[in-house]
Amino acid sequence: MRPLSLLCELTYRCNLQCPYCYNPIALRAYREELGTKEWSRVLREAAELGIVQAHFSGGEPTLRPDLAALVSAASAAGLYTNLITQGTFLDDALLDRLLESGLDHIQISIQAPEAALADRIAGATAHEKKIDALRRVRSRDVALTLNCVLHRRNHDTLAEVIALAEELGIERLELANVQFYGWAFRNRAALMPTRDQVARGEDVVAAARERLRGTMEIAYVLPDYFGEFPKPCMSGWGHEFITVAPNGDVLPCPAAAAITTLRFENARTRSLADIWKNSESFQRYRGTSWMREPCRSCARREVDWGGCRCQAFLLTGDAGATDPACALSADHPIVVALRDGNGLIEPVARRA
Amino acid sequence: MNAQSKPRFGKGVKLRREEDGNVMLLVPEGALVLNRPAAVALELVDGNRTLGEIVAAVVERFDVTSKRASEDLCGLFERLAERRFLE
Repeated sequence: MRPLSLLCELTYRCNLQCPYCYNPIALRAYREELGTKEWSRVLREAAELGIVQAHFSGGEPTLRPDLAALVSAASAAGLYTNLITQGTFLDDALLDRLLESGLDHIQISIQAPEAALADRIAGATAHEKKIDALRRVRSRDVALTLNCVLHRRNHDTLAEVIALAEELGIERLELANVQFYGWAFRNRAALMPTRDQVARGEDVVAAARERLRGTMEIAYVLPDYFGEFPKPCMSGWGHEFITVAPNGDVLPCPAAAAITTLRFENARTRSLADIWKNSESFQRYRGTSWMREPCRSCARREVDWGGCRCQAFLLTGDAGATDPACALSADHPIVVALRDGNGLIEPVARRA
Repeated sequence: MNAQSKPRFGKGVKLRREEDGNVMLLVPEGALVLNRPAAVALELVDGNRTLGEIVAAVVERFDVTSKRASEDLCGLFERLAERRFLE
């Protein structure tokens, strides 16, 4: 078993306040961020462990003044480098430094296709800066993906998001239905799309894919609570992915810190290889031997790996339960009730 | 994609050869592990060679008919082009 991908959550600081953020709600534990040398060591350890890609995210990773140095360290270790940013700080000078450091791909997110709604969702004046950043990156020789997280408040603008992507000459568009972790879990009643929105969205995406075939690749992340089976989260716990949180905590999944019944190791005190191979947290839900029924005898046990451990914990209090997103789970009525809620517009809570 | 096409990699797409000889195609959000013929074919992609030349090179290296290699590789290259990994 060899990991392929390292998610470096450089900081949880951010100047936006998106209600669907998957970051933890309590951030006190993450203020002591790893320094440049520590991150550089983590990146080297990742490459030695067989990882091929490093994703720099957060929070907002461009708030780290050493971002370009970390991209350099990753490139020097032979890693493919990807920046996941909301783009409001991506000026020409920073872009120059990042591209000189060997950055391979940039993903920029928008909240909606026009400024009024987008800024209302982000809780800040950000949209026009993002559009500037998208145009700036588009004019450079680097791969670019535009991302938009979909939820009840912007789902009906899906066709306009695609039209904006076309206007900007985007080659890769990722439309991701909100997943309910961190702030998004707290705000799930306000964010849950309606059945109508999901059904219309699928038609809009199918038509756009047909029309834009060979011009724009459209990735569509299905909504979590609407399918019959759960997502194969992380391609299985401890199978391909490692996340390192800003304080050095090493997690099998970016949302795993929510699982309070597990203790996570820290990259400051143990090597990535040791944590990957030997830690209780990575071994706990790896493979299929931890599974109970209905997963244990299920033909799909190595297709979706029991779904998401974090979601199982958030919804049932038991990280070893079948993901309630699965129709075969005894806890599935929890998901049905959340999905088919009364549709009232709920107030959203925002990060400070 | 046809025999006259001169494929090249899209932005942010790279081949990576492992110490054990396995070849991966690294793309913006993931890594595709390639079988041997696909690896040989993609290692010849440089924007100058035609797909026809690449197919001929694969036929020379592997026990496969021209027709089969051409069908398989055109299909593979077409799928990669649709995802913007080749252009």
